[in-house]
Amino acid sequence: MNKKTYTLIGSLLCLAILLFLANTFLRGYYLRLVILFAITSIVALGVNVTNGYTNIFSLGFGGTMMVAGYATALMTLPPAYKKAVLHLPLWLEQLQVAFPLALVIAGLLAVVASIILLLPAFRLEGQYFILASMGINIVMGNLAENLRGITHGDMGLRNIPAYTNIWWAYGILLLVIYAIHRLVHSRFGRGLIAISKDQQLASVMGVPVVKYKIISFAIGSFITGIGASLWVHLVLTMNPKAFSLVYVFQVVAMLAIGGIGTLSGPLIGAAILTIGTELLAPVQEGFTFLGCTVPPIFGFVNVFMALLLIVIMIFKPRGLMNGREIGSFICFSKKEGNSNGNSNIKG
Amino acid sequence: MNVLYFLQQLINGLSYGSILALLAIGYTMIYGILGLINFAHGEIFMIGAFCSYLLVSFSGASFWTGLLGAVGGSVLIGLLIEKLVYDPCLKKNPEVLTVFIASFGASLGLRNLFVMIFGDGRRAFPTPEYLEGIIITESGLFLNVKDLLILAVTLILLVVVTLFIKYSRIGTAMRAVAYDPTAAQLVGVNSKTVVLLAFIIGSALAGISAVSYGISFGIVNPSMGYLIGLNGFIAAVLGGIGNVPGAAISGYIIGLGEILFVAFLPPAWSAVRPLFVWALLFIILFIKPSGLFRPNVKIQ
Repeated sequence: MNKKTYTLIGSLLCLAILLFLANTFLRGYYLRLVILFAITSIVALGVNVTNGYTNIFSLGFGGTMMVAGYATALMTLPPAYKKAVLHLPLWLEQLQVAFPLALVIAGLLAVVASIILLLPAFRLEGQYFILASMGINIVMGNLAENLRGITHGDMGLRNIPAYTNIWWAYGILLLVIYAIHRLVHSRFGRGLIAISKDQQLASVMGVPVVKYKIISFAIGSFITGIGASLWVHLVLTMNPKAFSLVYVFQVVAMLAIGGIGTLSGPLIGAAILTIGTELLAPVQEGFTFLGCTVPPIFGFVNVFMALLLIVIMIFKPRGLMNGREIGSFICFSKKEGNSNGNSNIKG
Repeated sequence: MNVLYFLQQLINGLSYGSILALLAIGYTMIYGILGLINFAHGEIFMIGAFCSYLLVSFSGASFWTGLLGAVGGSVLIGLLIEKLVYDPCLKKNPEVLTVFIASFGASLGLRNLFVMIFGDGRRAFPTPEYLEGIIITESGLFLNVKDLLILAVTLILLVVVTLFIKYSRIGTAMRAVAYDPTAAQLVGVNSKTVVLLAFIIGSALAGISAVSYGISFGIVNPSMGYLIGLNGFIAAVLGGIGNVPGAAISGYIIGLGEILFVAFLPPAWSAVRPLFVWALLFIILFIKPSGLFRPNVKIQ
């Protein structure tokens, strides 16, 4: 038991107490916000594995998250509801899966979907790959709108049971942080970072590039899939617009603002964007301040976010963390030598 | 399913293809020269349509003044984006990913700015009476005057732009910068001018394309540039990046393909129309990753 371990246990205890207080005293909207931050962080960390560490810039995670979201909804919705609005095979209609198992299955389905969808796209390079991965979002969104028997089309699925609570969200978040920390400091993780710096050099040094890329995609999709699943059980509805390109953009913005390819970057980005969005939400919906009524301004949040993103891209192109890690991660490792923020996709 | 029906759909497809072809040229020029996907191109298109709509609907200007306004507005916004977003980004950090995220941001920001000002509803685009006419040929074919106008204007513009790129001094400079920026600078090409010119030409064509869209679909709304912009970019990729005539031809291929896809498949399939374009893109990129035509960029 050295000092590091004490720090770690101490900070975990502090977090547990804070979460307990939050769970006891916060209600409704604010509690949801706290949970949403954890879920968003999970998604951002998952995306960061592929887009940050391995430096394969994919925008296809919206599509795989959609698979996971619908899968978990279908696995946990009450059979009576499924019978009423959907046309499913009998076994799927009767299927009822416990929440933890549903999370894992949703994650695995996301992995399968991502590999099926993205493997062909690996033939492409740079911005062509970005374009193809973006297409996956649009294709999946369109399928979700049109496969009404499974997804209920535009109307979306409702009455999803509320399983996600603060303990699930933060428990999984901590697991994900630990897993990614271990991953990055393993032989495999160093292989990924080598690929991100120079693919050819990595290959010459004996890194199995394609295999590692696929595994990193699988890991990233698994984490984002679980994030999507948690999200569905928090928001309690699932529709084709849930993980659309705007959502994808928000996650990319989080990574870019926080610092891509670091462990703390996605967390900071998620915090800034989640809190910022919610703080600005009243402006968007109109409010009364000192007796003056401000009319609702739709789209304000997105305009603000876009401006913030552009400004950060101009002045801090590698994000606020700039490849460093924040102090609280010292308890994991003494120093982070990994400054993987610079991505070098060639056009 | 007779010949007449096919011809009718062919004309619709050509009219829609013209809109895509003009958009695709803007994408291919900017991608070829700067090496970045100008995500905001769809928003330049949208702003062009709004300029024309506002001029004609609120100040009672004629359709042609509206068209000029659309071109002016598009060029202005294109240059603003270049000066305020891309230029500082590229100067500070030449990595493509940073600029890509910034351009994504510019696109979302502009679209939502217009949602903020005008709301997300659809507005009727003012089309003058004389363009609403229909010519009926002896064989019973219905020809919309506006479709013919769109097609004629687009074809003229395509020829002019292609000739300009191919034979004029500055056009040669543009191709040179697209092919190899360093070598072009070494032989004395001012790449700044070339970049600005690419934005001016691309945005102007987007403005004309936007007015074509306005009269042919009759609506403007802030998110109009999003899907059609992506289709335009797909056309640019299919045409071989940097290849202007290739982009235009691919625009027509996609436009025709999309219209015929909807026209000749069961109506239940028409909802999956966006899938068609992406399926086409995937298939072509797998067979020929560089696009249908020869790209005019240095193979790295």
